[in-house]
Formats: sequence, C-alpha cells, structure tokens
Amino acid sequence: MACFLVSTVAAIGVTVAQKVALKSEKKKAEVAEGEIKDYKFGCETKWSTRLKYLATTLYTGSFLLAGEHVLHGEVVPYPPFLTAAADAADAAEMLHEMSTVGVAMLALLVAAWGFGVFLWDFIKYRKHKKQQKLQLKKEA
Amino acid sequence: MYFLTALVCTIVAGVLFVFFRDRKGLHLDFLTITFGAATLMWLVDCIAGAIAGEPFLSFDDPQDGWIALWTLLGGIGLWLVVAFVMNNGKKETPKE
Repeated sequence: MACFLVSTVAAIGVTVAQKVALKSEKKKAEVAEGEIKDYKFGCETKWSTRLKYLATTLYTGSFLLAGEHVLHGEVVPYPPFLTAAADAADAAEMLHEMSTVGVAMLALLVAAWGFGVFLWDFIKYRKHKKQQKLQLKKEA
Repeated sequence: MYFLTALVCTIVAGVLFVFFRDRKGLHLDFLTITFGAATLMWLVDCIAGAIAGEPFLSFDDPQDGWIALWTLLGGIGLWLVVAFVMNNGKKETPKE
C-alpha cells in the first residue's frame, strides 16, 4: 500500500548523514594533510561515498516501487495521495504493512548494502596485500 | 511478473557493469543498483504475499505487464537522466 515510503524516509535521513560525513571528512582532510596513515581494512573508501550508495539504493528502489503503486491505483495525484488514507480501517492496514513489509524491505536493502561495502573493502584489501607482497619481493 | 523482470534486468545490468567496469562515464553501477534495489524490495513483497497465503509469483493481474514495462523503462529512464546530469553537471575548475 505504501511500503515504499519507509525506504524513502530512510533515504532522506541517509542523505543528511552523507552530507554530515562529507563535511567532517573535508575537515579531517584539512587537518591531516601530508600525514602518512597506516593501511587499515576499509580505509580506502570514504563513509560519504558508502552512504551515497546506500541513499542511491533506497531512492531508486522506492522510485520504481512508487511507480508500481501508482499503476495499482494506491497512490493518486490528489489529496490524500494514498487511497488507503481516506478510510480509517484501510489506514490501519496500511500502517501495519508499512511497519512489517516496509521495514523488512529497508532491512534487506541495508543488509545488501552492508554486504556490498564489505565485499568492496575486502577486494581492495586483498589488492593492497598483493601489492605489498610484490613490493617486499622486489626489495628482497 | 515485475519481480522477474527486475531480476532479469539486474542480472543484465550487472553483467554489463562487470564487462564495462573501466568506463565510469556509463554509470552502470547506478543502473545495477536501481534494478537490484527494486528486485530486493519486490522479493520482500512476494515473500509477504506467500506468508499471507497468496502465490509467490502471480501472472493473473492485468496490470502486471504495464508494471513490468514501467520497471524496465523507469529504471533505464532514471539511469539516462542521472548519468547525463553526472557527466555534464560537474562544476568547471577555475582556470589558473
């Protein structure tokens, strides 16, 4: 009925978090300019970039699902915009669906993003380790 | 039906992303994420329907074809717009 709204609201929150992360990263970059850091797992990808991908996931998924709801006649271009919101019983059912299916959708998307981020960091880490080994061999 | 459409689109977009991974300007990662996110969301919808006693995949709804078409065109349309903006909307660096 309106399960995509949960992900849309979460996407807005993630966008705000991404902007905050971007600002703090800029500040950190100014402070730590020229400083050589030790390599750590996941240090190559910035949190703002990771959050940008999460926001993209949530926005685009919600966009396609919103289209489906429009075609099903559950979302209309005039108030109250959600046909289920016009009736109290339907509204209660809609809220129940949002709290179950909507939250499950959000959880699955966040889990998929988390797995993707871990995989990406793992690939980068392995690449770095290989390069380190090659460098050590050359030096030897 | 639209779940299957989204799934096939995700696989195709994913293969294209891997194949053209060096061409960043195509933004195929965005296209893969778009279809992948919709697939996961509809997967939850299908599971919720199956728990409620409905069939996991249904082809009876006459709207299904239109929604499948929307999935394809909506995803590609969004990708085209976003890729165009990303490729052309960059701020020019000031000349020294």
